Amino acid sequence: MSAEHKIMQFPVKSPYHPETAENVLRGFAAFQAEQADSAELTDLRIEGLNYVTQHGLPTPKLEGWKYTNIIPAVRGFDRLGTVRVSSNTVPGVIAQPLVKSIVEQDWVKKLICDSQTSTDLNINPILWHLANMYFRDGVSIDVPANTEVKEPLEIVMECDDGAFYVVHTAIRVGANASLTIIEDHRGKGKFWKNRLSHITVAPGGHLTHIRIQDDSKDAVYTQNTKVTVAKDGHYNAVALYTGAAISRNQIHVLLTEPGALCHLNGASLMRGKQHSDTTILVEHLAPHCESNQNMRTILDDQSHGVFQGKVHVHQIAQKTDGYQLSKAILLSEGAEMDTKPELEIYADDVKCSHGATTGRLEDEPMFYMRSRGIPEAEARALLIESFVAEIFDEVKGEEIREQLLERVRGWLEK
Amino acid sequence: MLQIKNLHAAIDGKEILKGINLSIPTGEVHAIMGPNGSGKSTLSYVLAGRDGYEITQGEILLNGENIMEMAPEERAAAGVFLAFQYPVEIPGVQMTTFLKTALNAVRKQRGQKELDALDFLKLMKKKQKELSISDEMLKRAVNVGFSGGEKKRNEVLQMAMLEPTLAVLDETDSGLDIDALKIVADGVNALRDPKRSFLVITHYQRLLDYIVPDKVHVLANGKIIKTGDAELAKELEKTGYAGLTGEAA
Repeated sequence: MSAEHKIMQFPVKSPYHPETAENVLRGFAAFQAEQADSAELTDLRIEGLNYVTQHGLPTPKLEGWKYTNIIPAVRGFDRLGTVRVSSNTVPGVIAQPLVKSIVEQDWVKKLICDSQTSTDLNINPILWHLANMYFRDGVSIDVPANTEVKEPLEIVMECDDGAFYVVHTAIRVGANASLTIIEDHRGKGKFWKNRLSHITVAPGGHLTHIRIQDDSKDAVYTQNTKVTVAKDGHYNAVALYTGAAISRNQIHVLLTEPGALCHLNGASLMRGKQHSDTTILVEHLAPHCESNQNMRTILDDQSHGVFQGKVHVHQIAQKTDGYQLSKAILLSEGAEMDTKPELEIYADDVKCSHGATTGRLEDEPMFYMRSRGIPEAEARALLIESFVAEIFDEVKGEEIREQLLERVRGWLEK
Repeated sequence: MLQIKNLHAAIDGKEILKGINLSIPTGEVHAIMGPNGSGKSTLSYVLAGRDGYEITQGEILLNGENIMEMAPEERAAAGVFLAFQYPVEIPGVQMTTFLKTALNAVRKQRGQKELDALDFLKLMKKKQKELSISDEMLKRAVNVGFSGGEKKRNEVLQMAMLEPTLAVLDETDSGLDIDALKIVADGVNALRDPKRSFLVITHYQRLLDYIVPDKVHVLANGKIIKTGDAELAKELEKTGYAGLTGEAA
């Protein structure tokens, strides 16, 4: 069939539902009227507005949102809150409110205004644009070249009950610099926090990014993170999700130069009717890069876990090492896990693998432990802890590792 | 000590144990020998309380107390210990943590004071030395990357720490070369005690050269068909099980 004669049948129903964004759109005019910053930022917001106006909020009709429906949970919000971002003072780190740094520092403006969203089906850009539409709150973090920061930078982002929040983060780790960031999310009440984070790691830079998300069980947490790693740079992420009624963690990593590496480790511990979605795209854009995705999910009651992970190896990216592993344990009959691991490879000399398992807690180790006198609940907790702890292996500081394990134990004791 | 009366047990509706009667007085070592599929491992799991086995008739008494309704951990506290034929690997759980958790769980259930880190280490050092278990081995995850011999020595170490009154050894000789077998047997013999009984389950007579039993029972098709002294094991080595069961074993 020749191209001229091809007739395209439109789908009967559009996957886009502009009406779902009615609430968040309503507030825009009043919000923009209050902002007195640059024309560039106004453009950024308007571009966001236009996108959200056309597409609405993401619904399960979209390929990358098949397993996660945030619409019922976010429908009610008609107030925009101000996120209180605070951090400790760490020598060697320049942390500033975005409203200030975006005016004064070019790299911040570039990162926020010039970043492109992905066109990948999983990494849908709607929430990215929604964040840009309400650009205001947030923090920029800068570590100059050759600065080795020993003490971890701790960031807290506080939200209150009853509102919708948008928060941006711009992080730059300079050449041969190193930094550990610990984000701690512990919001109370019912709110929706939509985040957009831009991270760039310069040649030889190292960033360890720890994210503890323990927001209230009524909250909605949506996160868009874009990371760019240059030559011999390392991005190590460790995430622990125990909070929020529903969360979507959308992470896009670009390994742009040889020797770049990213390790994305995550653990999700869910119970009740909680829902946690981790959606990852790693793009290998240069030879000799390494990526590793390692996800552990524990689901109790009627909770729901989602893992969509993709490794995209571009044609130029020979000698790629790309790994992906998702392991889930269902503790109850009503729990559900959906996994969609994908490899998309255009280079011919690569080492890539992926694996996904979903199962119950194994009988054999349980019986073995109980036969040694360890009560059932304790044996179960020990097995779950060890299952999850595997992803903390990369955390270098013993104190931070212990802090993460304490959170896991705390969850197990509830 | 242990009394098993007319024990019938089934798994998935299939009867495996078909009326076992066995009594082991305190301080004695009894061996159970039998061909594959005779029910040896089932008996050991039923004693330790593994899920999935249905006891359809009979009873198991430990020191006069019926243990059939007890959970595995309660049986452990009551003094039952099963040395596994295939010790289970538990990635991520360090040996020392495992041993300490188990010992203190048992002590707590027995109404004894839990050991602090220092007292625990002292006790563990003492026991590990007797079994030539290296510090490095105890830093690893439970049974992960252990050789066959290491796994079995580890079982005996756990036994030594938990001080059971009834120790059931399920095919402890399987997968061991002669040197490893001697170490394990010496470890077991060191634990022989007038207050402790042993049930040694094995397919071959070889182990019984090192752990000499007071009595030997032959299990076939879910029943004990013959009982004798240590000589019976030697006899079986010559004649095989077929002579006893009247069919090819």
